[in-house]
Amino acid sequence: MKSKCFKVFAAMCVAALAAGMMAGDPASAREKKDPDTLVVANVYDAKTLDPYATNDVASSGAMLHIYNRLVTLNDKNEVVGDLAESFEQLDDLTYRFVLKKGVKFHNGEELKASDVVFSLKRALAPTSGAVKHIVGAIDLESIVAVDDYTVEVKTLFPFSAFLPSMTHMGGGAILNEKAVTEAGDNYGMNPVGTGPFKLVEWKRGDKIVMERFDGYFGDKPAFKNLIIRAIPEGTNRTIELESGNVDIAYQITTNDVARVEANKNLKLLRLIDNSTAYLGFNCEKAPFDDVRVRQAITMALPVPAIMKAVLRGVGAPAVGPIAPNVKYSNKGLEAMPYDVEKAKALLAEAGYPNGFKTAIWTNDRKVRIDIATVAQNQLKKIGVDVEIQVLEWGAFLEGLTQKKHDMFIVGWTCQTPDPDMAVYAPFHSSMKGNNNFTFFGDDEIDQLLEKGRLIADGPERQDVYYRIQDILRERGPWVFLYNDEQVVGTQDYVKGFVPSPFGFHALYNVTFDAN
Amino acid sequence: MNEPKKKNPWLEVFRRLKKNRLAMLGLVVVLLLIGTSVFAPVIAPYSYEDQDLLAAFESPSKAHWFGTDEFGRDIFSRIVYGSRISLQVGLVAVSFSIMIGGFLGALAGYYGGRIDNVIMRIMDVLFSVPQLLLAISVAASLGPGLFNLMIAVGISSVPQYARLVRASVLSIREQEFIEAARSIGAKDLKIIFRHILPNCMAPIIVQGTLGVAFAILTAAGLSFIGLGIQPPIPEWGAMLSGGREYIRDHSYMTMFPGMAIMITILALNFLGDGLRDALDPKLKN
Amino acid sequence: MFKYIFKRALMLVPVLIGVTFIVFTMLYITPGDPARMVLGEQAPQESVDQLRQDMGLNDPFLVQFGRYVYKAVFHGDIGRSYITKRPVVQEILAAFPVTLKLSAMAMIIAMVIGIPCGIVSAIKQYSLFDNLVTIFAMIGISMPVFWLGILLILLFSVRLGWVPPSGFDSFSTMILPAVTLGAQSIAIITRMTRSSMLEVVRQDYIRTVRAKGQKERIVIWKHALGNALIPVVTISGIQFGILLGGAVLTELIFSIPGVGRLMVESIKMRDFPVVQGGVLFIAVAFCVVNLLVDLIYAWLDPRIKAQYVS
Repeated sequence: MKSKCFKVFAAMCVAALAAGMMAGDPASAREKKDPDTLVVANVYDAKTLDPYATNDVASSGAMLHIYNRLVTLNDKNEVVGDLAESFEQLDDLTYRFVLKKGVKFHNGEELKASDVVFSLKRALAPTSGAVKHIVGAIDLESIVAVDDYTVEVKTLFPFSAFLPSMTHMGGGAILNEKAVTEAGDNYGMNPVGTGPFKLVEWKRGDKIVMERFDGYFGDKPAFKNLIIRAIPEGTNRTIELESGNVDIAYQITTNDVARVEANKNLKLLRLIDNSTAYLGFNCEKAPFDDVRVRQAITMALPVPAIMKAVLRGVGAPAVGPIAPNVKYSNKGLEAMPYDVEKAKALLAEAGYPNGFKTAIWTNDRKVRIDIATVAQNQLKKIGVDVEIQVLEWGAFLEGLTQKKHDMFIVGWTCQTPDPDMAVYAPFHSSMKGNNNFTFFGDDEIDQLLEKGRLIADGPERQDVYYRIQDILRERGPWVFLYNDEQVVGTQDYVKGFVPSPFGFHALYNVTFDAN
Repeated sequence: MNEPKKKNPWLEVFRRLKKNRLAMLGLVVVLLLIGTSVFAPVIAPYSYEDQDLLAAFESPSKAHWFGTDEFGRDIFSRIVYGSRISLQVGLVAVSFSIMIGGFLGALAGYYGGRIDNVIMRIMDVLFSVPQLLLAISVAASLGPGLFNLMIAVGISSVPQYARLVRASVLSIREQEFIEAARSIGAKDLKIIFRHILPNCMAPIIVQGTLGVAFAILTAAGLSFIGLGIQPPIPEWGAMLSGGREYIRDHSYMTMFPGMAIMITILALNFLGDGLRDALDPKLKN
Repeated sequence: MFKYIFKRALMLVPVLIGVTFIVFTMLYITPGDPARMVLGEQAPQESVDQLRQDMGLNDPFLVQFGRYVYKAVFHGDIGRSYITKRPVVQEILAAFPVTLKLSAMAMIIAMVIGIPCGIVSAIKQYSLFDNLVTIFAMIGISMPVFWLGILLILLFSVRLGWVPPSGFDSFSTMILPAVTLGAQSIAIITRMTRSSMLEVVRQDYIRTVRAKGQKERIVIWKHALGNALIPVVTISGIQFGILLGGAVLTELIFSIPGVGRLMVESIKMRDFPVVQGGVLFIAVAFCVVNLLVDLIYAWLDPRIKAQYVS
């Protein structure tokens, strides 16, 4: 019997020892501020570093440092050259880009026009579905390298938003032909660009480690190592920032805004971004096929009050479909009045004097669930009995595509600074079930959207988009909820950080204040 | 091991249970909880879903004993109504897995051989899909909701009871009294239900009480991942995980649902422990 | 014994096929289009349809299942992640050691604390120590993992500033997650040790030993403990397996790139090959743990050993 005891403990000791050896990494000293390293806390990890294989904010945020585009935006939202030394529009359809000379890729290759041709063709290939719609106006056959440093492309139709679309992080990124061909399927983990940083290590779900690329053609960053960590819990990002383990933390949660502001060692930067969250109706399903029902629900929702309750000072109540930092956003658009009596009257007029039963779908984002919860409570006042269904993102999208929904809450981000990107996909009748999840179809809107694409920038184009915003407000496929805000916390020694309305931010200009 | 005919065995158990103060405390709390869930509309001062956005984030006060949440809903009322949900999730899921798992385990242990092999391999298959992942997949594939949640938690616990019961049966089946029963010609099923299972009760009850805890906690975990119960249903786990982002400013929002879960599980465990002692036939002198 | 191990290893094959089948079925009926998830919500439907076709997702269920099993068995190929395009094996091999480390640390903490507490509790039944241990064990069991994790972060990262709240690359970042994950196991092992010990102490052979006038200490250590620990070993094995698959919440709270988080994120992203591979991997790990438990079990209890040999 005694030996039995012994055996048990022997077994445990072996187990403990084995496990102990596995866990026996040396405890690394807690990092003090290293002037050569910038540590950033993001929410999510990138999905892939192949720019054409994804179109999400976290991946774009990493790739922004690895790749360049032919053209980019300056801080006034104007299109300026990046890899392109110069660019010009030759006629309605044709554009010419002249490349900078001596630009090096991370693998040592020099940037040539052939790489640009390769990249644009790859972006248009069927396998690049994630960005194809962004650069889709390019005529695949027309892309030619005139010489080693000159590229010409044609668009399929006169497209006034063409140059802005080429500034898109994913669709516009220029890759190295040799690196892509050599890496094959592994390219997403082994990116090669011309950007200021090159990838050193990617621990999936944890962090992306990058190092300054000494052959970079532009201004070299002031620090050597860039580490982007994925920390999904908002509370933890703030704590890491407070304890000095990270220099910059993205998406500070509403609850921590005051805390970061009050902290003498920290700074808070805020910027309303290009996303518009909305409550959409399935406009092809009764009762929402009746514009009066949509208007009634819009009037029964005191949007500013709801946003105040849910967002508590972060973001801004949206008044229209085009976010304020996007071109031709009509900031003077008047919100629908909050009027319960009028809403009831409209419902009665539409044949629902006693209201009806319906459902709001949303995905598992807390803000959206909160909005749904408040809306549910508010809509009781006009007799509309709402069931909330929180779905996973995948199931949510599939349900929307298949038109199984009644009402839903989601956001739309305009990924270029051009209004075409903000309203064409969600409202054009040809996009039904694709990005037009409200299945809204309106001839006048269709015509305006098509017109807006063709005419050059100027007052006439502005009129078109103002008109679109008016009509959409009136015919109500969306209840405009809010424009989200980028709330970024940094250490006070971090200088030169400017948040971007696209939700992913450039870090290569950051410097550390010496003290 | 046969009770004298005239005495009700459960009265006997209760008589012994009464001697155990912690168990009685647990029993009282569990009864209180059941009472609370039955009489929730009478007890709760407010509705569990009515919002008052102007009264959001109020600390505990006379008007709102446990304070109010981000929508100005009364947390006390939500916890009172929430007892219905949590008890339901815990009890239904565990009874389900004990019934199925216990039966399969007994069969496997008693018959051994091929039956044992087949049953236990199926259990292995189920067992090797981690419970939480199974629950997540079920929630994802069936859509979230109370019923699916109970199914997911229940199914995922079946193999655990099967193994436990099998192990107990293995150690019991060769004992004299089983041989005796067999020698007087008792049928297998009768032996299993009459003689073997009652003698396995202790571990089942110990594991079962923990299982209720597990079920309630798993439900809470699914809420944390975002696959829990639909709002505005006041499930304690959902309240707890929903309040976590306010924990540094308004800790009472998580404190009370957290305490509600803890007290429920504590009570169930005390009771389960007491029952184990009381049910154990060997204690009887 | 080796024959037995070999037999068990062989039995793993049907288990794994069973697991694959269950997971495959579950993923198949899960709503949500993997192609859509790869391309993002803004991508046009034509691109999504094209990708679906290329991924073979339009094929009938059995064709997809058969293809998966065929490739896995004959080519050792369990596919590439839909999202990163990296081989699934690499994805998992990057995440699994993290989870293993975390679970092992949690388990060590649980056994080192749980077994002695359980033994002493049983010996001094109803004493102050016993009651305290019971209460702490109860609290350990009844606290939702993520609440405990957050409270620990608040105390040790915010209030005291001793350890960072996220990451997993040094001892200081590992200790909080391990305690959080292990808390329930501590409680369960303590309770199991205690009740099993009490059970054994009441058995006839112990009574006989006692009747012979043996000292209580010897009765406990020499005669009772070994038998009492048998169910504890079982429960510990089960617990370890549970920790491997149950580290999800802990990994999420502490931003740890383990296999649990990989699974949850892959399920959410509908990255089916990674979910498949991950579950298979956990299943194998789990079966290995079970086999070890059974071997120890047999080693401890000769009656069972005799049975295996026969």
